[in-house]
Amino acid sequence: MNFSTPKKRQAGEPILPMINVVFLLLIFFLLSSQIAPRAPFAVTPPELERGEPPTPGAVLFMAADGQLHFSGAEGGDALAAVAAQAAELEVLTLRADAGVPAREVAALISRLRDAGIKAVSLTGTGS
Amino acid sequence: MTLAFGTPREKKRLSLAPMIDVVFLLLVFFMLASQFGRDQVVPLAMGGAGSAYQGPPRLVLVTAEGLRLNGVPVEAATLADQLTALTRKTSDAIILQPDASASLQQLMDAAGLLSGAGFTGLVVME
Repeated sequence: MNFSTPKKRQAGEPILPMINVVFLLLIFFLLSSQIAPRAPFAVTPPELERGEPPTPGAVLFMAADGQLHFSGAEGGDALAAVAAQAAELEVLTLRADAGVPAREVAALISRLRDAGIKAVSLTGTGS
Repeated sequence: MTLAFGTPREKKRLSLAPMIDVVFLLLVFFMLASQFGRDQVVPLAMGGAGSAYQGPPRLVLVTAEGLRLNGVPVEAATLADQLTALTRKTSDAIILQPDASASLQQLMDAAGLLSGAGFTGLVVME
């Protein structure tokens, strides 16, 4: 005699809790992450053996042909946009291509100094 | 006669498949979001207003052929030692001036060298 209840059919994988977890992760990363600013052109910074970790925040890009980009603004507008934010910026990260002549970068830093930028960090890539 | 009440119910185990799904999701996320070839920066002082230049001249000229300290050609290995003699503290301003032939990589090498030696007052001048 067998009084055991008939075995239930194996239920499928519970999909709802899984979706909950995935959404939770999604929201967590959306809130906690900071999207790194990107330039519309390719920038390959020079190599740097030892440096300091980069500070998050405003980045001014400089392409190999000297083209500038700062948060959506190009060329002269980029410099104007930097100058407009100069008071709020603690440090401006300059991400210049390794193909730019050093003198052009020095000239750009001089212009940033005139625009009222307090500190500039020059970006390189670690090995 | 024995009464069988069925096999004792199995303890419900944590289902593995959703867990693996989530782990893979995390894996894909971090693979896409993480940056390879991590960036490093050299902080530059802006000089100019506020802090007056003090002490002997410390002008490092960066050229394609090499470095010059106050006009005298100098080996990269001995640059930091020579500058230590010319500075009173590590935050003293050191002027880096690239000439027309220098590439950004050479300026970066010089800045990285001095920054690595502990100097924090690097000023890039035109």
